[in-house]
Formats: sequence, structure tokens, C-alpha cells
Amino acid sequence: MIRYAMILGCLLLASAASAHQAEKHADVAVVKAKMDFVPPLAGSYTLQRIMPAPDGMVMDTQGKARALSTFTRGHITLLGFIYTTCVDPSGCPLAYEVFNSLKAKILATPDMAARVQLVSLSFDPLRDTPDVMKQYGGSHVKNRDGLPWYFLTTRSPKELLPLVEGFGQDVRASVSKKDGRVVRELSHVLKVFLLDKASTVREIYSSSFLMPQMVMNDIETLFLEEQAAARK
Amino acid sequence: MNRLPFLINKIPLALCIVTLGLVAPTVLQADETCNSPYMSNLIKGQEDFMYVWTLGVDGMGDGSDKLVTLDVNPKSKQYGKVIASVSTGGRGEAHHMGFTDDRRFLWAGGLSDNKIYVFDIATTPSKPTLVKTIADYGDKSGYLGPHTFYALPGRMLIQALSNTKDKGGVTGMALYNNKGEFISSTPIPTDMGGDGYGYDIAVNPNKNAMLTSSFTGSQNYMRPLGDLIKDGAAMKNFGNTMVMWDLKAMKPQKVFAVPGAPLEIRWSLKANDNWAITATALTSQLWLVKQDGKGEWNAKSVATIGDPAKIPLPVDISINKEGTGLWVNTFMDGKTRYFDLTNPEQPKQTYEKQTGKQVNMVSQSWDGTRVYVTSSLLANWDKGGADDEQFVRGFNWNGKELSPTFEVDFAKEKLGRAHHMKLGSNALKVVYEVEPAKRTARSGD
Repeated sequence: MIRYAMILGCLLLASAASAHQAEKHADVAVVKAKMDFVPPLAGSYTLQRIMPAPDGMVMDTQGKARALSTFTRGHITLLGFIYTTCVDPSGCPLAYEVFNSLKAKILATPDMAARVQLVSLSFDPLRDTPDVMKQYGGSHVKNRDGLPWYFLTTRSPKELLPLVEGFGQDVRASVSKKDGRVVRELSHVLKVFLLDKASTVREIYSSSFLMPQMVMNDIETLFLEEQAAARK
Repeated sequence: MNRLPFLINKIPLALCIVTLGLVAPTVLQADETCNSPYMSNLIKGQEDFMYVWTLGVDGMGDGSDKLVTLDVNPKSKQYGKVIASVSTGGRGEAHHMGFTDDRRFLWAGGLSDNKIYVFDIATTPSKPTLVKTIADYGDKSGYLGPHTFYALPGRMLIQALSNTKDKGGVTGMALYNNKGEFISSTPIPTDMGGDGYGYDIAVNPNKNAMLTSSFTGSQNYMRPLGDLIKDGAAMKNFGNTMVMWDLKAMKPQKVFAVPGAPLEIRWSLKANDNWAITATALTSQLWLVKQDGKGEWNAKSVATIGDPAKIPLPVDISINKEGTGLWVNTFMDGKTRYFDLTNPEQPKQTYEKQTGKQVNMVSQSWDGTRVYVTSSLLANWDKGGADDEQFVRGFNWNGKELSPTFEVDFAKEKLGRAHHMKLGSNALKVVYEVEPAKRTARSGD
């Protein structure tokens, strides 16, 4: 594990991008998944209990070490792995935009907003420091509107790895040739995880299925499920 | 199932001194034209390997079902050769396989032992390893004969052919997470005009549309074909339906009458297309499932395959990435046929070639220039004597002619019956060869 931690660390340090680009996500024209159907009504279906979310140590924007479960239990949680320098139109910027649009929609229903939280967790711990994550989160960090959006990172690749593995977030090394040079890269396929208040993963969205209205309906489905359970 | 230890253990530190970066996750539509659209890591160039899920034959080699790896890169010195083989240690009617959404693992099912074998194909793509055997499929779901393995994000949807209670054709789907843990089961409908039978799964994410097709139960597929076709009552126990599902809700929306055992389903991968196609085994027809102007899904027969009266038994299809052409393999006459799908309402056969005395699966490379054929349908349905050829054959396709490139004789190699095939690539490897000279003092090993 230590070896991999160091490896991932040097992989990330050597990243082609030379410097942090705060709020780069705002400049990228995202590629949205096409949704050519009317989604089923919230509450008309059941979301499967796919697996328990993993736990481990993370750092908040103040640099304080906390258990990830602090940010995934007790609320309906939408969690995505990101890195702040990602500029792929169908990757992290897409996740950011979807989270942002969902936040506005959820806030329109205050009862539900009180039950939901968003988490963006970096898998570039050596560059995405708490300060960088704070810049990336911008105005969302202060949670002035009543729907928390946490921007988390980890102290090291060693602390990150169990989380990446536990969620099943795809990270893959690849080799390609650019300008006659061999370029080695670490790639991932975007996944966003929807967790219930017990921190059980109830839905996983990849790029081709990250449709805001569908996610919204799923969040509302979990909200209705909570309400029904509370009435029993 | 451990997912990343190979990364932890093997990525060389040498990588940190070359150009590296986190790169784009991409929107992926499909892979080699027939896999789940949720699956990542397309092989758009030359494939390096072929994984062949092979039925063990008593007295042939170790007699066990096995995953056989072939080298299929023409530039390799081992081109057309067997380079690895992993036995399961038993014989359980090896049949179909499917990749997990991250394409790190290959799940393969046994129709009679009801087990699911999980192979790691990412650590060393040229040499898969058996890392897990899931043996609770029947106990958890009540279903028998895991057939289609369809990747969804973080999980695998598995369509069965039968059930453990009466071993008939009424069946369903079971959902597992990628760690191999059972989540839930969903029956194929027996109301709404449904017969409850199952076979294949195919999803169009942009339509939230999932299609399933139907075959027959263990009582039939484990029975010698010669006996079966003489049994009129048993021959009535084949699926005659397809079902359109609301994928998100996992609820059936509409049942289509599609007589004669509709088998593999292929959605057109062309952007904005709204149709899928299948072939019926017993009635030898191509059926189109298409959405009309009002958004309603309908199914209709659009072509015949060979002479249906002779029961050529179409057993597999492969659509090209443009949605303009379809390969169809017919088991009985050993032919590989090409249909022009430019107008999916009126497919036209434009080519055929006898590629074996019996042929089953047909697959193609992403660019359609390479076509592969296997020989085995089911242990008790394969032909006898000299007609019982067992092989994988490769061909080049130039748009007019299939030209043989290589052949592996699975009987001569004492491997077994070659059934399902999936493609692999060195590019999908998650580890690299260590370059000791470039290791740094920080390597820690």
C-alpha cells in the first residue's frame, strides 16, 4: 500500500498540467448525456441497495481530518470523485455542472434540501490540497443556502486508495504516443454515487447516464422512502 | 474481489519520471459493437487477444471448462496461437461471458453448474486468472443457467435461461454488485402476454430502454438435440416473446409476440437511431424493434434468414458500429451471412460463406474489418462425427469477401468446445513492466 501511495503520488505530481487552475470547471463546455425519454416518477420505483459505502479519513477545506462517513451518513448524499485540473467535457466539469444544477433544484424544496448533501472528493491529493479544494468550491463552501456541498481531499494517496477501491471508481494507467514521445497517463471514467442516509450506495451514474432529471428523481425517491419509513 | 491491488503492487515508480497526467473520462457508446454501453475502455484499434469460454469434453485434455486465450494480433509472433488457458476444474456447460463496466473482470457462466466464474483480465491481459467463483446464483435468485452478463455501473445484470424449481423456461434476471454480492432478482413477466422465458439483455441508455429475449429451459437445452426435436411437447417449450423494460424502474412496459426463440439483441449504435434487431432461432427471421413517431415501441419481422423450412438455426448476430450491416451465423448449414441494414425495415442478404460444418458465435472488431467465428452451440446440441468441428476461425472482411486469416483447432489442442469469445488488449493492462534502471530511491521496494 505504501508503495502504491508513493507511486500514485509521483504520478500525480508529474501530471502534465503544471499548476492548479481554480474553478477551471466554469470554463469548460460540458458534454451532457442525452436523455430521450420521460423518466419514471419519483417514488414509483425502488433503488437497489448496491453496497455499503466505504469509509476512511479525508480532509475538509479547513485541513481538518475527518472520517468520510461524517459526510455520507445521516443525509442523502451525492458523491463524485473529481480533480480540480480536469478539463474533460464529459468528466469532472460535467459532474460539477450537474451538482450545481441539482443543488438549485433541490433548494426549491426546503424539506428535501434539509435531507441532502453533496460531496466532491478529489483523487489528486498531492495537488488538490484543502486550500485548492476551497478555491474550487468557491461560494459553495460556506453553505449559506442550507444545502451543504463538501469539497474534500485526502492527506495522501495511501488514504485515498481504500476509498477509490471501495467505491469501485475506475482508475487506469494507459500509454499513448504524442509527438513521438511515449506518454503515460492515469485515466478514470466518471462515476457519481448516490447514497442513502445509512451510507448505502443506491445508484451509480456513469457519463452516459448522468442525467440531472434522473438523478433528481432518484434523490426524491430516497427522500420519499425516508418519509415513508418515518411514518411507520 | 480486490480491484486495485495490482495497481498497488505493480505500477513502477519509473512512471513518475516520465510525462504523466490524469486524463479524460469519456462518454462511451459501446464496445466492439455488442457489449454494454456502460462499459468503458473500447478497443477501437487492433485487438491483441481473444478470450474463448470453452466447454470441457470428457477425455479431451483435462476435461474441464476453461477460459482459453488466443493471440489475435497479426503482428505478434504468436498470432493465431493459444497463449493461455485457465481451467475451472469442472464441467458445467460453459456458455456466455461479459465484462464488468470497468473492463477489468470477465464474468463467465455455466448453464448446468449454475456457477459464475470471475476472471481478472486486467492485471495481465495475456494471462487471465480465476479470482472468484460465485456459487449462490441459484440459491439467491431461484434461477438456473446464467446466460447474459450485462454490465451496469458498478454492477452486473445476469439473465438466466431457466429456474431451479422445475428447470423449465420461466426465469428471470439477477443483479450482483461488482464485488460479486447478490443484490436482487427480477422475474421475466408471465402476465401482459409474457411467457416468462429469458435469454439476452440489451440496453439503450438514452431511451431508458432495456430489451430481453427468450429461449428455453434446462430441460431442453441440456437434452440431446436429436431427441428434443422429435418431442413435440418439448418443442413447444421455447420462448416466443421479447419484453421492453423501463430500465430505471426495472419494470416491464410491453411484451412483444416474437415466435420462434428470439436470441441475441443488438441496438443500432448510430446516434439518434431508435431500433434494435434480433434473430429467431426456430423460425429463422430477423425482427426489428423500433419506436414509432408517437414513441411507441413495436416489433415486426423484417427478413428471413436462409430457408426457414430447413431450420438453418440462426444462433448469433453481430451488428457493425454504423448500424448498417449485420452478420448472422446459422448453426445447421455452417454459414456466416451478411445483411445490409441500410434500411432496417428491409434487411437484404448480400453475402454468405460456409465458415464451418457447424458455427455458433460471430464477433467483429470495432472497425468491422476482422470477423471471428466459433463452432460450439451446446454440448448436447453440437453435431456428431466429422461434423463436430471445434474451432475459432479468423477472417478479414473487405466489404465483399471473408478471407481466412487463422484457425485454432480446439479438438486438436485438446481444449474442448469453443463457444463465446471476447476481445482483449494490452492497452487495457493496469500495470507496466518495471524498468529497474529508472527506479528511484523512493521506490520503496
